[in-house]
Amino acid sequence: MEEGKAYSPDGVFAHLEMLEARAHEAAVKQEETEQQEEKLARLKARAQELRFQRDELRAKVELQEKGQLGKGGVVSDPAQPSARAVLEWKIKSVEATLQVFYLTGISGKLTKRGVCFCISTAYEGTYLDSYCLDLLIKPEVQIHRHSVPVFIPLEQIAKKYLQTDIRRFLSVLSDHLNAYAGRRYQADQLQEHFSDQIEGTLQRNSLCNLLVFSYNVSSKSKTFPFKVRLLYGDLCCSLPTEVVVSCAPDAPVSLAETAAAHSDLFRRVALHKAFRSFSSADESVDGAP
Amino acid sequence: MRGFLDTHRTGQAVALGEDQRPVPLRKHAPGLGDFIMDETVAEYIRRTVLKIPRDEIKTMLQKWGFLSEAQLQTINFHQLKDNISQDVVQLCEENSADIKQAAVLDIIYNYIYPNKRVWSVYQMNKTGEETDFFDLTDFKKKIKRRLRSALKNVTITFREYEDNAVWIRIAWGTPYTKPNQYKTSYVVYHSQTPYVFISASVLKSNLPLLCQALVVASNYHDIREMELRSHSLNSLKDIVFKRYSQNFQTYYPKPLRERDVAPETDLRIIQENKNEKERIERVNREIFGDGPQPKLEFAQYKLETMFKSDPKMDVLDKKEPFRCLVKFSSPHLLESLKSLAPAGMADAPLSPLLTCIPQKARNYFKIREKKGLFPGSFVSP
Repeated sequence: MEEGKAYSPDGVFAHLEMLEARAHEAAVKQEETEQQEEKLARLKARAQELRFQRDELRAKVELQEKGQLGKGGVVSDPAQPSARAVLEWKIKSVEATLQVFYLTGISGKLTKRGVCFCISTAYEGTYLDSYCLDLLIKPEVQIHRHSVPVFIPLEQIAKKYLQTDIRRFLSVLSDHLNAYAGRRYQADQLQEHFSDQIEGTLQRNSLCNLLVFSYNVSSKSKTFPFKVRLLYGDLCCSLPTEVVVSCAPDAPVSLAETAAAHSDLFRRVALHKAFRSFSSADESVDGAP
Repeated sequence: MRGFLDTHRTGQAVALGEDQRPVPLRKHAPGLGDFIMDETVAEYIRRTVLKIPRDEIKTMLQKWGFLSEAQLQTINFHQLKDNISQDVVQLCEENSADIKQAAVLDIIYNYIYPNKRVWSVYQMNKTGEETDFFDLTDFKKKIKRRLRSALKNVTITFREYEDNAVWIRIAWGTPYTKPNQYKTSYVVYHSQTPYVFISASVLKSNLPLLCQALVVASNYHDIREMELRSHSLNSLKDIVFKRYSQNFQTYYPKPLRERDVAPETDLRIIQENKNEKERIERVNREIFGDGPQPKLEFAQYKLETMFKSDPKMDVLDKKEPFRCLVKFSSPHLLESLKSLAPAGMADAPLSPLLTCIPQKARNYFKIREKKGLFPGSFVSP
């Protein structure tokens, strides 16, 4: 007001202008507060809405958990899998792949200085022992340590293939180990399940490439011993290459034929399976006149 | 061939027919004829029985199988061992036991108590690559023939065990004297392996002959001692057959082992050097693996290195090697070495000289100076 008095001639206009500006300012302010209030209300409503949603979801989760505990997985909707779930799934699948490698019989793992291979053996669907080989790669491939049985000709196989063809080396070694495990398994099965038919002891060596034993064959209510000598000439094979079945000379002629038939069977079929077929065939032979 | 009808005409079948016939052994008391047992046999059986702990005598006699179950029933196993042994001898006299049977009892005792002897490992070599069909009957025949032709008087007894091991007991004599049953050699051989475990007799002079017989019988060309000795036969086997825990890194699913980890129950204790502890544990496991260690009693290092000192001190003449013998001994050497670092008594990893024992398959070493390599390196602190 004092200013207005000072500039009286045009003070009125100036005063009016000033009042106008103030009025405008006040109007703008009012509008702003109104807008803010509106926004606040909106946000409050939104918060309310979200709270409601949260409660709904919570209830759902609770329901789901209860359902899973109770009925074991009545999952409502296939929601987006979380990152953690994806990771777990990936780990599982990688583990399964490694498991599959193990099932193939040869698996490897990188070590600090080379590779550690593991060869698992199996015979006719039965998993048997596993053997490990720790290889160093530099300066040249060499066997650092291993658990391969000492009578397996590892050194010879290594001399032939280790430097030139490591795949071949592993496959030949695996053949040797599998054949050995198979031969041993057959001999073990024979001793375990047919010891009542075997006379004396089953003589074998470490590689199980020579088996000598005798077993009883009955004919016309008399029993005759058969002597068997099985020679496994191929160390990568679990069936014999040379079979000798012999019986006493006082045995009836028909037994010589039986011996020949048995010998043929030993050549083709696993030892314990051959014996299983004898015991089932024996009954029918006994029954025949 | 005689006595057996052969369906496949091969040479082997002939050998088989002969194999089955037991090799006749000469009686040690010729002329006595009837059921009178040799006095030395009686005494030997008596002393063998005395060695067995009393509560094991019965089971061991059952394993022997020479006395019938009815005969064993008559023995009072609760009386003094001396009396038990007398009773056993009397029954053996009834069955007219000879030295062959007595030797079998001794093998059974030694098989159950192999730790009573010191075993040394020998390694055989062959030049060819032909596959070997080890025939036990053949092996026995060759051993007997070789030893008998040289000594005439020698008791050789074999016994096979389930793990494809054949145990051989040899009592040595000379062409003019009877075998000494109390100074026997023992040999354990696993067919088709280059390793032989020998517990030699005090009569060392027969060792070369024994080695020769083994090489011939098992189709090898030469044999050498491996510098690996222990009372524990099984640990020696674990070492050379690589059955000790080697801790391979594989994806092969290992069965979970329950570790006897003592949990740190007192929360007030703060592990200051947790990382270091974990490092030691890891390094130790890399070297020794998780499993139990083979049992050795000694590791011996013979040093033949030059003594290096300040030239001003002039302690020893430098030309002379500094001879020194370092011997580590413990009831269970490798287990002790394994626990050194975790116990804080040594830095991990231990010196490879100590940790290479199972892998190198030797516990007797000779250390010589490296030639021409860093001549001054020995002095550096």
